[in-house]
Amino acid sequence: MEPLIATQDLKKVYRVGKVEVHALRGVDLVVQEGEFVAVVGPSGCGKSTLLHILGGLTPPTSGRVLVDGNDFMAMSDAERTRFRRHKIGFVFQRYNLLPTLTARDNIRIAQHIQGNGFNPHRFAMVTEMLGIADKLNRKPYALSGGEQQRVAIARAIICEPKILLADEPTGNLDSENSQIVLNMLRTLNRTFRQTILMITHNPEAAAVADRIVRMRDGRIVGS
Amino acid sequence: MIVENVLHRPIRTLVSILAVAIEVGMVMLVVGMTHGLLNEYAKRVEGVGADVMIQPPNASFFFGLSSAPMPVKIADRLAELPHVLAVTPVLFQSYSTGGVPIIVYGIDMPSWNRVTGGFVYLQGGPFRGPNDILVDDIYARDNHIRLGQTLNVYQDFQVVGIVEHGKGSRLFIPLATAQDMAGAHDKASIFYVKCVDPAYTDSVIASVRQLLPNYTVLSIKQFMTLVTSNDLPALTAFITALIAVAVCIGFLVIFLSMYTTITERTREIGILKSLGASKAYIIQVILREAALLCLVGIVAGIVGTIVAARVIQSSFPTISVDLTPLWGLRAAALALAGALLGAFYPAFRAARLDPVDALAYE
Repeated sequence: MEPLIATQDLKKVYRVGKVEVHALRGVDLVVQEGEFVAVVGPSGCGKSTLLHILGGLTPPTSGRVLVDGNDFMAMSDAERTRFRRHKIGFVFQRYNLLPTLTARDNIRIAQHIQGNGFNPHRFAMVTEMLGIADKLNRKPYALSGGEQQRVAIARAIICEPKILLADEPTGNLDSENSQIVLNMLRTLNRTFRQTILMITHNPEAAAVADRIVRMRDGRIVGS
Repeated sequence: MIVENVLHRPIRTLVSILAVAIEVGMVMLVVGMTHGLLNEYAKRVEGVGADVMIQPPNASFFFGLSSAPMPVKIADRLAELPHVLAVTPVLFQSYSTGGVPIIVYGIDMPSWNRVTGGFVYLQGGPFRGPNDILVDDIYARDNHIRLGQTLNVYQDFQVVGIVEHGKGSRLFIPLATAQDMAGAHDKASIFYVKCVDPAYTDSVIASVRQLLPNYTVLSIKQFMTLVTSNDLPALTAFITALIAVAVCIGFLVIFLSMYTTITERTREIGILKSLGASKAYIIQVILREAALLCLVGIVAGIVGTIVAARVIQSSFPTISVDLTPLWGLRAAALALAGALLGAFYPAFRAARLDPVDALAYE
């Protein structure tokens, strides 16, 4: 079966002023559809850069990236944006909800951007599953961290993305809320075969994944 | 999202709306007051009741101002032309009350009465001496002028009559006095000609042009069309300059407002990009926000202008403000264009933000 994500000798070099920063030094990664993969490693090892490249937020410098059969090296910025809109869902450590919108509108804006219109059945199913149906009229400042992260997960999956990319989703949460969020990710993966790639520092969080990928100095050092 | 964003920063929103409202109000009031002044003047000239007006060569038809008045004796030759019923000379004396310009008419009462049919005296009566002045009812009410009081128009005059408004000017003094004041003996600024029948107007104009080849000769109807056409060359530059200033104010405030918005919301723009929002989507969000601010500002500006016009007219009855829907639309279109132009660069800049950098923005 064709893997959903496949990278070969993936490299990313940032320029900070005149200094070149080698964030990725040749990453080879394969993720099958329906897999739940945790990427662990120390700060600065290139985990977030890998996630950003796989989500089409930034282009790689060299190497090969195939995501759902799309070669990111051959795609323009607009094409990667379109791909991200339809195939990728992001969950961030800091939730990244739009502060002026209610939980309901934060979720609906993803559907609005995707342009397929509002799907009330999907909306009700997702918000029920994540336990936020009674908090939809609240703005982010009126939600706890765990609730905000659940809204962020709802926003990420409302459009049924092929891949859910989670960047330290429990990094800002206490252990109880962390467990709730991890359970939800696990449920999403088990129930809907949602492919998830999750970055984490937390070994307990990584343990819920099917597979753990270890990174160091811009390379994968163990899997 | 647009409405929530606008409400999120109420002071900035209010300042932006106020700037657009001022822009719209400035355009509408300047144009309204200019046209009001002209239209009101044109109506008073029409109210003289003449059919033809004759001015010196190269005189501006606007207020008939000229530094070279005509000899009064021309009136006798004009009166001899076929189909002419009466001719009256008028010497203009410019004056201002509280910053409002007024053209004082120096008139020859017998011929004035023949052309105009005479004043309707609400109080008092015609001139009895050289230092008498007639005042129309609007000017009298506005300036609290009573019959018999002294009124200084470069020199002291006694108010001997308050007349119904609508005939040429608001203040009338004897022609000879006006000539003395101006040092223009036996001169006139304009001749009003009354035909035996308005149907002879063109014929009389042709005769006058033959008699006075270089003079400005207009039928009152032509004059009315020129003054009320909203296209006075002399005023176009003035109005255009003021409109440009107003549009610049709107442009700059919206530009600044949207620019700071973009800076403040860099992270939110990153979030939208992470959700797959295209450059066009981001630009559209920013432009729609600017358009919303602008539309509220336009409504506030139009309402404010209507209120301001009423306050001006009740406080200064001699000032007319002609607010027209056409100029309301033009002011709105200018404000909208200025706002969208002002918002475009910030929107473009937002659209070009790197999503990773934007998401990392603190």
